[in-house]
Amino acid sequence: MGAFILRRMWQGLLVVLGVTLTVFVVTRLFTDPVALMLPLSASDGQRAAFAAQIGLDQPVPLQFLWFLGDLATLDFGQSLWQRRPAIEVVFERLPNTLMLIGAGLGFAMVLALPLGMVAALRPGGIVDRVTVSLGLLALSMPQFWVGLLLILIFAVQLKVLPTSGMGSPAHIILPALTLALSPLARLTMLVRSSMIDELNQQYVKTARSKGLGFRRILGVHALRNILISFLTLSGWELISTLAGYTVVVETVFAWPGLGLTAIQAIQRGDLFLMQAIVFSIALLIVIINLTLDIVFKLIDPRIRLN
Amino acid sequence: MNFMLRGLLATSAIAVLTAAAGPAALAQSVTVAIGSEPSTLDPQLRDDGGERQVNDNIYETLMARTATGELVSGLAAEAPTQVDELTWEFKLRQGVTFHNGEPFNADAVVTSVTRVLDPANNSEQLGYFGTIASAEKIDDTTVRIITTGPDPILPSRMYWMKMIAPGYAANGDLAAAPVGTGPYKFVSWNRGTDIVLEANAEYWDGEPAIDSVTYRFIGEPGTRLSGLMAGELDIITNLLPEFTTSVPKFAAVPGLETSVFVLGTDNPIIAIPEVRKALNLAIDRQAMADSLFLGFATVAKGHHVNPAAFGFNDALESYAYDPDAARALIEAAGVAGETIHVYGESGRWLKDREQIEAVAAYWGEIGLVPEVHIEEFSQYLDTLMGDGPRPDSIFIANSNELLDADREASFIYHMDGAAASNSDAEMAAMIDEARITTDVAAREALYAEVFQKAHDLNYTVPLFNLQDIYGMSERMEWTPRPDAKLMIKEMSVTE
Repeated sequence: MGAFILRRMWQGLLVVLGVTLTVFVVTRLFTDPVALMLPLSASDGQRAAFAAQIGLDQPVPLQFLWFLGDLATLDFGQSLWQRRPAIEVVFERLPNTLMLIGAGLGFAMVLALPLGMVAALRPGGIVDRVTVSLGLLALSMPQFWVGLLLILIFAVQLKVLPTSGMGSPAHIILPALTLALSPLARLTMLVRSSMIDELNQQYVKTARSKGLGFRRILGVHALRNILISFLTLSGWELISTLAGYTVVVETVFAWPGLGLTAIQAIQRGDLFLMQAIVFSIALLIVIINLTLDIVFKLIDPRIRLN
Repeated sequence: MNFMLRGLLATSAIAVLTAAAGPAALAQSVTVAIGSEPSTLDPQLRDDGGERQVNDNIYETLMARTATGELVSGLAAEAPTQVDELTWEFKLRQGVTFHNGEPFNADAVVTSVTRVLDPANNSEQLGYFGTIASAEKIDDTTVRIITTGPDPILPSRMYWMKMIAPGYAANGDLAAAPVGTGPYKFVSWNRGTDIVLEANAEYWDGEPAIDSVTYRFIGEPGTRLSGLMAGELDIITNLLPEFTTSVPKFAAVPGLETSVFVLGTDNPIIAIPEVRKALNLAIDRQAMADSLFLGFATVAKGHHVNPAAFGFNDALESYAYDPDAARALIEAAGVAGETIHVYGESGRWLKDREQIEAVAAYWGEIGLVPEVHIEEFSQYLDTLMGDGPRPDSIFIANSNELLDADREASFIYHMDGAAASNSDAEMAAMIDEARITTDVAAREALYAEVFQKAHDLNYTVPLFNLQDIYGMSERMEWTPRPDAKLMIKEMSVTE
């Protein structure tokens, strides 16, 4: 186990470095931060001075070497937009994003298990059909649109929830719900189909013939067997939300998280902040993957980690 | 019993009155949505919309503008006088203090000027203050600004430079907790969410009507609109013309921007004066103003100078719409079927892509073959201002914060201007002269001549003076300003 963790950490480190290098090269090849950061009326002298100040007058390989050196101390330089250390901005906004993802995915996971199980009890029944139809509907609606629709219904028409921003517990409900909808649908479908498979297994029939209660079979034995695939998909949902979906939701709801900050950093050509954000998200994803592997091993020791 | 009843009635009356007074007091606070969070609240570093919208209410400048755009004295007691060609003298208003109690005096002006010019601070506002050399204290209430050359628009420049407190600038945190002399005091900045200001009870021009203002950062236009409809916001900026009918209230005012195509007059086809004339005659500007902007834009009068700016030539006529004449000109020049390149960007200015595509279509109708290039913004800036070959035509929504024609003249019409595409040395000389002429009437006459010439030679294709449209809650009472500043002291709420 120890050797496995070390190897995965090494692989993870390579992934993070690779992602960082890609962002580093792309931002320098395809954007001109000097043109983006200075006003239209800035003189050539001001442009040159600014380029020298942020080190853009040096050869790109040299810039990357310096960057790697700074990385060890999490020094991504000053955010051009916020004029304070880029990592400080990340540390400030990351908790908001994690809170939103936690609320959204938590809600999806908690609701998906009972929904999927109930639907699986009578495949083709009315409950099952309604669940599957709603799930398909949720999956086919873009998040951006769902968010605006929820705002229109609950904030503009009913006036029961705030439209945007962060401040009270009520503020998290609509963005979390928007974020939860697709994962909820996918997880419910997974629980439903896995549960239908499980209930047709021989061991269920044997257990029932021995007089074991159906609830116990369903809630303990079958549930444990579908747990790995449930957690795998949840982990995947967590990673894909972190890597992108949260950007849309945070923008629609003006939620001050890392996703919204990433969009603003891109719009303002703030390459130092972009590097810090991409690095942090890549690192988080690697850590989540590693954690999931370890959790799976703990749940089911039969899993071979290599 | 009677006594008890009276007591009960009196208590109820007090309760009712208190309840009535409560919401009335609360109603004096407003919430304004701004598109982006300020990067810093230091008033001398950035040239950034979010920062300006907040700091315009905290800080003041020596010169100010009325709600209609007229330049008046602000922290200066009166209009400045010119001591010699390079020296302007300002008398300062007395008895003004900063929010932290520091007095506003000549030292504050000297500190403000010195700090913004200091290259170490790398201020983005240097473009506004390029001609200023230094500031000199004469006595506590008199200060002189020295320029590097004759600068007739120095008073307008001082409408842009915010005055900071010397003591606080040295020891305080201007970037996170600003301290000015203005009608509103900084209260809090909840990063990512909002900034709150409260009325300055000691403001020299009287306490403003609105007690407190909250700025919320909402980048997504749809969310801003929903916030207004839900009653959470009182003012939103950049309302699309299409939504003016769905918001509780709106207000529109001619803004700072004029959309225009700059023509590359040295390029083979565009070098022919008749072709340039045809490009102007080909466009039905009124139809575009009506369909794209629903009337919230006016057809530019023959040049791209802001009508509120000094030097605007009121005598010029808008270019006529005459496609037949345009087609004839193109035929006569022998360039029918030739390709012309149309450059622009998308998303930076209101309906930019729509304007570019519509104009290209009009040019297509008179026999040319327009090829539209929509570029990424920094790439576009390179095309607009870089050292490469000049494009046949490039779109820009030109802004003029100083409200002086020097901006348009030197930026686009002067052959050495950053976005200019002509090589007319004679016109450049006229612009240079206007820039250093301090006699107001002579200067106005020079600009009239410059813009008449540019108009006759069709150096640009001016389109529209764009309006700024604001969505407002039912209770807001406010008339927007031509300089796009959101001055809370000019607002009030009913209720």
